[in-house]
Amino acid sequence: MSYIDAGYAIAFGVLAAYAAILWRRRQRLERSASRAPAHRDP
Amino acid sequence: MSPADPAVAPWSPRATWVVRGLGIAAAVALAATIWLGLWVTPPDQVQHNLVRLVYIHPPIAWVALYLAFGVAAASSVLWLWPRTRSRFWDRLAVSAVEVGIVFTALTLVTGSIWGRPTWGVWWAWDARLTSTALLLVLLLGYMAVRRVPADPDSRARRSAVVALVAAVDVPIVHFSVDWWHTLHQGATVLNANLSPTIHGSMAWTLLLGFVAFTLLFAWMLAIRYRVEVLSEHLQDSELDVALHERWAEGTAPVPGPDGALAGSGRPA
Repeated sequence: MSYIDAGYAIAFGVLAAYAAILWRRRQRLERSASRAPAHRDP
Repeated sequence: MSPADPAVAPWSPRATWVVRGLGIAAAVALAATIWLGLWVTPPDQVQHNLVRLVYIHPPIAWVALYLAFGVAAASSVLWLWPRTRSRFWDRLAVSAVEVGIVFTALTLVTGSIWGRPTWGVWWAWDARLTSTALLLVLLLGYMAVRRVPADPDSRARRSAVVALVAAVDVPIVHFSVDWWHTLHQGATVLNANLSPTIHGSMAWTLLLGFVAFTLLFAWMLAIRYRVEVLSEHLQDSELDVALHERWAEGTAPVPGPDGALAGSGRPA
C-alpha cells in the first residue's frame, strides 16, 4: 500500500467510523428520550 | 426541560431535510474529491503522485483549525457574554470541540503520512507540527474539564474559559510557518499575497475538497448537537426518577415552594 492509499484510507475510514458512531448514538438517544418520563422542575 | 421543550422535540421536517441534504451533499462532494484526487488530476512535477495528499490534508486541517475551533471559540464568547448566554452556545461549543478533535487528530496523521516520504521522518518537532499537537492536547483537556462533576452553568463557564485559552494556539499554528524556519511548507492558497501558487484541475479539486469537508463538518456538528441535547434531557430525567425514588423512601430533602431544598420526607 502506498502512502497515498494509506492517507486516504485512514482519513475516510476514521471519518466514516465517527459518522456511524454519531448516527447510532443519536438513534439510541432518540429511542431512550421517547421512553423517558418528562422532567419536572421542583 | 420537558418534552414540550422545542430543543428536545424531534426535528421538524424542514430541519430533517436540511441535515439530510447536508449529509448527501457531503457524501457526493467527498466521493468526487476522491475520484478527482486519485484518478483525474495529474502528478506534480516535484512531488509526483504524493501531491494527491494535498486534496485531503489541507481541507481536514481547515476544518480542524478554523471551522471547529472558530465555532467553539465564538460559542464560548457568546456563552460568557451575559446578554447572549444560552445553553445553545454551550452545546454548540462542546459539539464543535468533539468533531474538532477527530479532524485535528486526522490532520496530524495525514500530515505524518505525507511527511514520511517527503521529509524522511514520521514526526519532527517542527513549529507547525508541535503547535498542532498542542492544540489536540488542549481540545482533549476541554473534554476532560467537561467531565468534572459540576452544575451545568459552572461546567459551561469552565469549558468556555478553556476553549478561549486554547484558541490562543490557533494563530500560532497558522503563522508558525512564517514566524519560524520550519520543515512544513508555507501557505499555498492563503499566502501573504493572496495569490495561490496552484492552478488548473489541481486547484479546482483542492477547492472541492475544502467544500466537501466543510459540508461534512456541518453535518457532523448538527448530529453531535442533537446528541448533546438528548443526553442532557436523559440525564435530567434520570435525576428526576432517582429523586422521586428517594422522596418515596423519605430520605431526600423536599423542595419548598421556592425550589429550595429543606428537611426530608415526601414532597407536599
